[in-house]
Amino acid sequence: MNHANGEGLTLAVLVVLVTLLCGVPMALLFKVGLTVNGEPSLGPLVEAVASRSVRTALWQSVESGLLSALAATLLGTVLALAVGLTDVRLKGPLVFCLLLPMMIPPHVTAIAWIQALGPSSPVLKTLGLAPAIGSSHPIYSREGLVALLTLQHTPLVFLIVRAALRRFPRELSDAARICGAAPFAMLRRVTLPLLAPSLLAGFALAFVAALGNFGINALIGIPARYTTLPVLLWRRLASFGPDVLPNVAVVSVLLAAVALAAIAVQMLLQRRLRTALVGLPQAPLAIALGHRRLVAEAGLWLFVVATLALPGASLLATALVRTYGLPLTGDTITFANFAEVLWRQSVTLRAFANSTAIAALAAAAIALISIGLGYFLALRPGTPGRLAAIASGQADVAFAVPGLVMSIAFILAFIRPLPLVGVSLYGTLWIILIAYVGVFLAVGLKPVAAAYVQMDASLEDAARVCGAGFARRLSRIFAPLVAPAAASGAILVFLTAYNEVTVSALLWSSGNETIGTTIFNYEDGGSTTLAAAMSTVVVLATVVVMVAMNGLARRVPAGTIPWRD
Amino acid sequence: MKKLLIAAAALVAAGQVHAADISGKLVLYTSQPNEDAQQTVDAFKAKHPAVEVEWVRDGTTQVMAKLRAEFEAGAPKPDVLLIADTVTMESLKREGRLMAHDGADVSTYDPAIMDKDKTYFSTKLITTGIMYHADAPVKPTSYKDLLKPEVKGQLAMPSPLTSGAATIHMVAVTSHPDLGWAYYEGLAEQGANPQGGNGGVYKAIAGGEKLYGFMVDYLPIRGKADGAPVEFVFPEEGVSAVTEPVAILSTAQNPDAAKAFVDFLLSQDGQTLAAAQGYLPAHPAVAPPAGFPARDTIKLLDFDPAAALEGDAANKAKFTEIFGG
Repeated sequence: MNHANGEGLTLAVLVVLVTLLCGVPMALLFKVGLTVNGEPSLGPLVEAVASRSVRTALWQSVESGLLSALAATLLGTVLALAVGLTDVRLKGPLVFCLLLPMMIPPHVTAIAWIQALGPSSPVLKTLGLAPAIGSSHPIYSREGLVALLTLQHTPLVFLIVRAALRRFPRELSDAARICGAAPFAMLRRVTLPLLAPSLLAGFALAFVAALGNFGINALIGIPARYTTLPVLLWRRLASFGPDVLPNVAVVSVLLAAVALAAIAVQMLLQRRLRTALVGLPQAPLAIALGHRRLVAEAGLWLFVVATLALPGASLLATALVRTYGLPLTGDTITFANFAEVLWRQSVTLRAFANSTAIAALAAAAIALISIGLGYFLALRPGTPGRLAAIASGQADVAFAVPGLVMSIAFILAFIRPLPLVGVSLYGTLWIILIAYVGVFLAVGLKPVAAAYVQMDASLEDAARVCGAGFARRLSRIFAPLVAPAAASGAILVFLTAYNEVTVSALLWSSGNETIGTTIFNYEDGGSTTLAAAMSTVVVLATVVVMVAMNGLARRVPAGTIPWRD
Repeated sequence: MKKLLIAAAALVAAGQVHAADISGKLVLYTSQPNEDAQQTVDAFKAKHPAVEVEWVRDGTTQVMAKLRAEFEAGAPKPDVLLIADTVTMESLKREGRLMAHDGADVSTYDPAIMDKDKTYFSTKLITTGIMYHADAPVKPTSYKDLLKPEVKGQLAMPSPLTSGAATIHMVAVTSHPDLGWAYYEGLAEQGANPQGGNGGVYKAIAGGEKLYGFMVDYLPIRGKADGAPVEFVFPEEGVSAVTEPVAILSTAQNPDAAKAFVDFLLSQDGQTLAAAQGYLPAHPAVAPPAGFPARDTIKLLDFDPAAALEGDAANKAKFTEIFGG
């Protein structure tokens, strides 16, 4: 093996960078939890696992994570196949609406559903269908929690599977159909087996996201008395006394262990499922559904209405009343909340600008890192592949550990002035940016790695034989092939970071607010109506951003923008 | 003689703080709601225009998490801390993280809510009493009314596991001779389900999911003024209070500005501002805001932050035993 011409250097830079952004902050935090009087010790961990409340929370985290990941994978795959392989109409708007739930911060989703189904639901009250006051809320249960986690993560799976379908060589499907395979037989014998790595990637991402989801776990889990690890973390943070950090760090170690176990299983399976394909992004297949098309379309739009309209309307109705708990009528309607967040509070616009800028930068950085790292991960067995796997494992754990804990880790790592430059990033926007890159790298890397896995090694060999160097192989052959997956990943990262609240929870400072922390602060200070108004504005702004991306559609490779054909 | 000298020196020092031209950067970490924090900072800056105030607002839990991480890294940033409860302050005091401000004038205040070593100072009273939905069949006036059969299944309360105010309320109520832990066991039998913080309980009751609950005073009092279907009552046994204490960190970069900030919060002007924001001022001579009863009619339950800190783990374990966490 010769590692000349920049290949070894590229790998080294990538691995060191990922280690600095994901591994080092976490290692510093874990160190706090695994030392007793300055001596390394597993005592605190053993103690934690021995306690009943920790074991219960651990089990419930795994249970809700697996159930919701399974449901999200099923739902996301069905939706992706319906949109990707059939001739249903209005695909653009449909995909757009399917992705919207992801753009809404999880705690806002939870609030919206609680309001939508509760006795004071502005929508149900106006329709006269609201449950009697004092009746218990159906969403406060394990099933409610799993349902919301599923809805939150279905778009993740949907995007990953859809990106895979785009790279799907038409020849195979065409061959199957020429041989007389009915659509369902083709699906079972050809399409799904080939999609396996992507399904697995989607499942793993949904599971890990559920593990670290704080908003839904807290807002639904606490009233349902269904305690998961993120909630346990919160409780430990809320206790008085000096041993808060070590306690939090120990629970984080547990979460990281669960995430690592999940990733190890995924890697084992992915090796076994690997099928090499070569295909350029091409016109999507459109199996004619005939008279069943209307049924399929109705089903798809019904799903959209159920998941968007009810919570969306609740959110809007809450934003339009004077104080929470009033029904929405001609007398109570007011635009004062919107006026307050848009005109009177300077923080709102600043938060928009900040979040947009750092989410976009983080997405671009992650796309670049993923294209490089994914190559070594999938196509270079042996030492380079192993090094890349270590880096990608760190990224997965950083994503699985709840954002609030990651923000503590980033304070520990970056509060001191950086060596060489002597400036501290703490208290600036930059620390939030690097935290986003560290925490969301897994989101952008997953689809790219799945795309590389399906590439035939003969591409690499052919290029080498022709004397193409590393840089050239990457830029002329692999980058164009994985561009749709990298772009889908980048868009996912952008939309996740744009609205997140937990990672920046402890890193923001005056002047460096993010959208998520602003909404959370309104809600936390008791201004529910302002929080709802701001959330409504955010959803609208997200739609504007997505429409703006449409303008770029002609200039980028086919399949880059997920809701364009 | 020595004591006299120290007192005299303290007086001189205090005088110097007021006389000196205070300037520079002051970093404040607070858990006040955004608008209130902004108003407080603006009012302080009107008095001390040369001071540049940088402030960070977050829930007490997040503020403390941030601060603990900063301690761990050996670089605490804030000069002044203004958070919800005295128990957290007591814990910081024991770790030697707070600076005493001997020049602070607390002569008009109730000594029960001030630290005798002058390391932290209560600035307002955020009391916890009973909130109920306007359409609720029972109109409670005593804690014991919540044990009536018609209340069963309609109770909400913030959890001491997530809310500092709820912890203090639990300690105060369970130390009351007529209530005690037996009262909390009664609540559990009534199907009370302690969940999250005060905001969640407010929404559960204002939204009609539950009808009664323990709640901090200002949310329902403000909500009612805005037309929300809610009521708040100060029960006859008394209320507990979180007192939003302010403290100067021992690592403060700008102790003079920090002392000026504390003095401002404790001054008549600072207290009037708290009342204008809709809180019960800690200063007995400042009139409470509309919707609150007169100060002398509000009875506080006994509470000792030091003892609460000692018994914190045991109290929470007992609570978890009763309610199953």
